[in-house]
Amino acid sequence: MPAADVLNLLIAALLLAGLYAAMSVGMTIIYGVMKIVNLAHAGFMMLGAYFVLELHERLGMDPLIGVLFAFPVFFLGGMLVYWLLVRWIPMSDQPTLASLLLMFGLWLVLQNIGYLVWGNSDRAILTARTFRTVHLGPILIPYIRLVVFAAAASSLAVLELALRKTWFGMSVRALMQNQQAGRIVGIHVERTARRTFGLGTAFAGAAGGLLAMLYSFSPDFGRPFLLRSFVIIVLGGLESFSGVAVGALILALVETLSILVLPAGYQPAIAFGLLVLALVVLPGGVATLFQKRQRLA
Amino acid sequence: MSDSRGAGRLPLPRSVGAILPFLLLFILVLLPLVGLSPNITRLLFMTLTWITTSVAWNLLGGFAGQVSFGFAVFYGLGAYTAALSINDGIHPFFSFVLAGIAASAASLLVGLPTFRLKGPYFAIATIGVSEAVRVVMTNLAVTGGASGYRIVERTRFNQREHFYTAVAVAAAAIIVSYVVLKSKFGLGLLAIREDEEAAADLGVNPFSLKLLAHALAAALAGVAGGVFARYAAFIHPQGVFAFHTSVAILLMPIIGGVGTIWGPVVGGAVYGLVQEELIAVFPQIHLLLYGTLLILIILLEPGGIVGLLRKLGRLAGHSGGERGSNPAR
Repeated sequence: MPAADVLNLLIAALLLAGLYAAMSVGMTIIYGVMKIVNLAHAGFMMLGAYFVLELHERLGMDPLIGVLFAFPVFFLGGMLVYWLLVRWIPMSDQPTLASLLLMFGLWLVLQNIGYLVWGNSDRAILTARTFRTVHLGPILIPYIRLVVFAAAASSLAVLELALRKTWFGMSVRALMQNQQAGRIVGIHVERTARRTFGLGTAFAGAAGGLLAMLYSFSPDFGRPFLLRSFVIIVLGGLESFSGVAVGALILALVETLSILVLPAGYQPAIAFGLLVLALVVLPGGVATLFQKRQRLA
Repeated sequence: MSDSRGAGRLPLPRSVGAILPFLLLFILVLLPLVGLSPNITRLLFMTLTWITTSVAWNLLGGFAGQVSFGFAVFYGLGAYTAALSINDGIHPFFSFVLAGIAASAASLLVGLPTFRLKGPYFAIATIGVSEAVRVVMTNLAVTGGASGYRIVERTRFNQREHFYTAVAVAAAAIIVSYVVLKSKFGLGLLAIREDEEAAADLGVNPFSLKLLAHALAAALAGVAGGVFARYAAFIHPQGVFAFHTSVAILLMPIIGGVGTIWGPVVGGAVYGLVQEELIAVFPQIHLLLYGTLLILIILLEPGGIVGLLRKLGRLAGHSGGERGSNPAR
């Protein structure tokens, strides 16, 4: 196969990885701070997609601006959900089944509200950008993918900055490392958890908006992406931001390159297969591979 | 493990509680003889099939505390095994046995890797397994892929026979669940649910016990799938392997009262009766309803309907069963 095709696939994988990272990061911070596996992530992604669609169709707003608006709206929505539901579940160092089932119930509710409001037909956001491509010699890049990648990457950069430089960001990182110690040094755990949940939800909503620019969607939209997010954060070691980037890249590469060996119909199964494999073989994430190697050396 | 004794009882006086199941069975057996409309029979048939899967899920999810989002795999495999073997001329009842065996075998394949994971990680892994199986079945040519598979029987359709099959299978599932709960095996499962490490220290082998419970539950779910497939005469991956099938199988026992004998039965009955009626009128409302119920149950009454009844029973001054513990913890 020609080198240009391989290059095209690799670039496609890289661009996809950026989106995947933005999609998973919300799940990681919620897991890191609260040890909650947020199955409602899928519901928020779906709502994000429809949020951007509605702004686009009713107000003629550019989907990218819509994504920008999704951040504050979903942040507040996430804090509301935390206040209404999540805070009643006792905090724990270990993920609990109660929190898993609670978030699952919330997902069901969100999904079926979606069905009630928007029906079950597939929708898509089409703009002048959607079908444009960029040619760089033999390399062909869909313009919209570049845009989505840029949006995802810049949102991740802002998040990284916020986590490093702000008091809230430092509290989040402290709680991810050790909740007990965080409490001792005077971090307001409840408030940080509430805002973290808001932030994770904001990223879910925004990622949903970005995904909606690339794929058609229905109220069942979030499920495959929820599982992909979970594969990514498991590959990344569950609570590390650089791990998310690595996990996103691995998944994007495997999915993209699988086209070469597997019929396209089986492609969705790859993420799920990888999920089970990652959970069973590498429960500590890809990083454990390198740690083992270091120990051996 | 004092609560294992009371765990199976509804808040009823002991004598009534002992007779009720037989009374129920008696009524179910007599019902078709007084002449039920085909529609009501279908409703009861579906409800009984749901009850079977609900009781099956509870063996693993309720007694052993291993929440699985993947029971559609076993239900679907059972359905397809039964379908293929009925079309091969194998007697339907024998094909149900094959369905159970196939689902059981699959449960080992699923369980061997995933039971190395604990709690929520196991739950998530089962979502992955069930989605992967559905994608493969959608693409598999032997079974018609996404377009589904038709079952052709060279006998006249006898709804009553289907109904009695469902009654028998549901009754067998409840008996299995009762026997398991009263056995040492069941005690081991409850111990795993309460504290896996402590159970292991006491000489329980969590891994093999969970595998066994999984296999038993999968067999029952597979038989239920087979019974359904024969009745429906047409199955397709988006139906029997669908995520919402897994979700339904998980919701029923939680709504009814997880970890008890009658909770999953009550949950399955409520789900079956309500859903089969609601789904025609408001296809989306029912999952909205169950999602809300799930949230309320997790936050307010982890014992489900049976737990709530027990509380009410205590309030009314009856000597109900001891308080069941909360396996959803």
